[in-house]
Amino acid sequence: METIQKWFRPFEVLKLEQRLSILTIWIAGVIGYWFMTTSGEKRLFPPPGKVMEGMRDLFNEGLMVHIGSSLGLCLQATLIAIVFSLVVAYLSPVPFLRPVAVAMSRLRYLPLTGITFYLAVMVSDARTMQVWVLVIFMSLYFITSLLGVLKDIPQEEIDHARSLKCSRWEVLWEVVIKGRMDYVLDVLRQNLAIIWMMLVTVESILVAAGGLGVLIKNSDRFMNHGRIVALQLVILLVGLGIDLFINALRKVLFRYSKI
Amino acid sequence: MSTYESKDVILRVENLSVIYDGKTIIKDINFEEKDTRRGGKVQGQTIAFLGRSGRGKSTLFRSLTGLETPATGKVLIPDIAKYNTDSSVIHLKEVHEGDVGFVDQKYTLFRHKTVYQSLHFAMRHAKTGAKENKDIIERHLKDWGLTKVRDQYPNELSGGQRQRTAILEQLLNSGIFIVLDEPFSGLDVGNILNVKEAFQLVNNSHELNTLIFSTHDIELAVELADSIYIVGHPKLENGELATYATLLKQYDLKGLDLAWKGDLTPEHLTLIKEIKQVMLDS
Repeated sequence: METIQKWFRPFEVLKLEQRLSILTIWIAGVIGYWFMTTSGEKRLFPPPGKVMEGMRDLFNEGLMVHIGSSLGLCLQATLIAIVFSLVVAYLSPVPFLRPVAVAMSRLRYLPLTGITFYLAVMVSDARTMQVWVLVIFMSLYFITSLLGVLKDIPQEEIDHARSLKCSRWEVLWEVVIKGRMDYVLDVLRQNLAIIWMMLVTVESILVAAGGLGVLIKNSDRFMNHGRIVALQLVILLVGLGIDLFINALRKVLFRYSKI
Repeated sequence: MSTYESKDVILRVENLSVIYDGKTIIKDINFEEKDTRRGGKVQGQTIAFLGRSGRGKSTLFRSLTGLETPATGKVLIPDIAKYNTDSSVIHLKEVHEGDVGFVDQKYTLFRHKTVYQSLHFAMRHAKTGAKENKDIIERHLKDWGLTKVRDQYPNELSGGQRQRTAILEQLLNSGIFIVLDEPFSGLDVGNILNVKEAFQLVNNSHELNTLIFSTHDIELAVELADSIYIVGHPKLENGELATYATLLKQYDLKGLDLAWKGDLTPEHLTLIKEIKQVMLDS
């Protein structure tokens, strides 16, 4: 009884098995709720059986190929965006270049549709357009987060490097670039949820190149609820998988990293 | 009475003042320190700066290390490049960023470098060859009890190991001067001992080695230093305290025969009382 009371006491630190028990109860509760609320005639969500059926259909229609296409697009756009964002953010300590980085960060409030119009005029290939729409928006978010990382570097670290006869460019290299490399991966991970959501939206706007967004759009059109929920689950799981992978990569590559 | 001889000037501060956004932080700082020679013993200098919070100690320290450009005045330190061990003649030059080691109270290190990599980086401008640099680092790692943690990152070090690495890194880089801003702040009794031992190692390793530190612990300053400066707001003619800080008093513990004693004597305690009063009045 006392154990259960602890579960409801704020700031209580629980043992691992107790935390696992709480997690199991919640998962069982959500699944049970799903079964219960979808067993009757009137229902908002499709029942688990329908979702499984939708999942099977998706596999038969080449789900893995579409996942591969989405991941490929994500990787391509992320690489271009991160390189561009890093250059802009790393040069932001140079007073003359700082306004460029700050302005780019502010541009994240631009609506997606306006940009796609101009890109459509400039680029004819659907895939290239998907990549550049993503690159533009990802870069704005990356730059914002990277500027935050740079702003949080304590003055002591800059002074420490200067006291070791580092030139200003060496300070930038040692403290900002090399010293915060693990933060870049973390920025990537933190922004992944937005990026992943944006990717599916971009794919569903420009359907010609395939991907998970196209599958969602098709399922939406035919009001196939089982497929829609199955796809949402797939998108969620792939997103979580990428998140876990990047976090593990950060810990393996940077032993000193404790963010 | 401990016998010693004060020879050449190793630190001269002339008319130093620092102004931030129109506000004078420190003003009219003038002092000089001389190289102390004790017969048959390598003896560096240990200088303490005491003062209440917000009295410009950190600003003064940043100026001493060349990290802060003063509004007026200059800081002169020995030009090591022109120092000849045979003639022992000291030429002074104006301090520049990197000439003087600086250790802050957090003992900041490069988070992405291991102990060895940090020390190796600190020696990158040394005129000695790669092999000799390696030998010097290995010898220091051994003397400072850091051999076992040579491949550890700062987040894997204990407090004491971190402190020793930070001081050693500056020693290998800057040569003779190390400025430490409140190195004892927030340390437990074991870590204080660690830092005191590090001070000893620095002091005993070269005649010109000079440690300058600030602290709020008056007893510790009296125990470790051979020269103490009090920084504070001076009293103006109208009886009010000025808004800028300056040097209020200097105590030469060598001259008072209170330096290098190890333990505190009744004379030390009298001095502590006096210092406390000067600080309270500032």
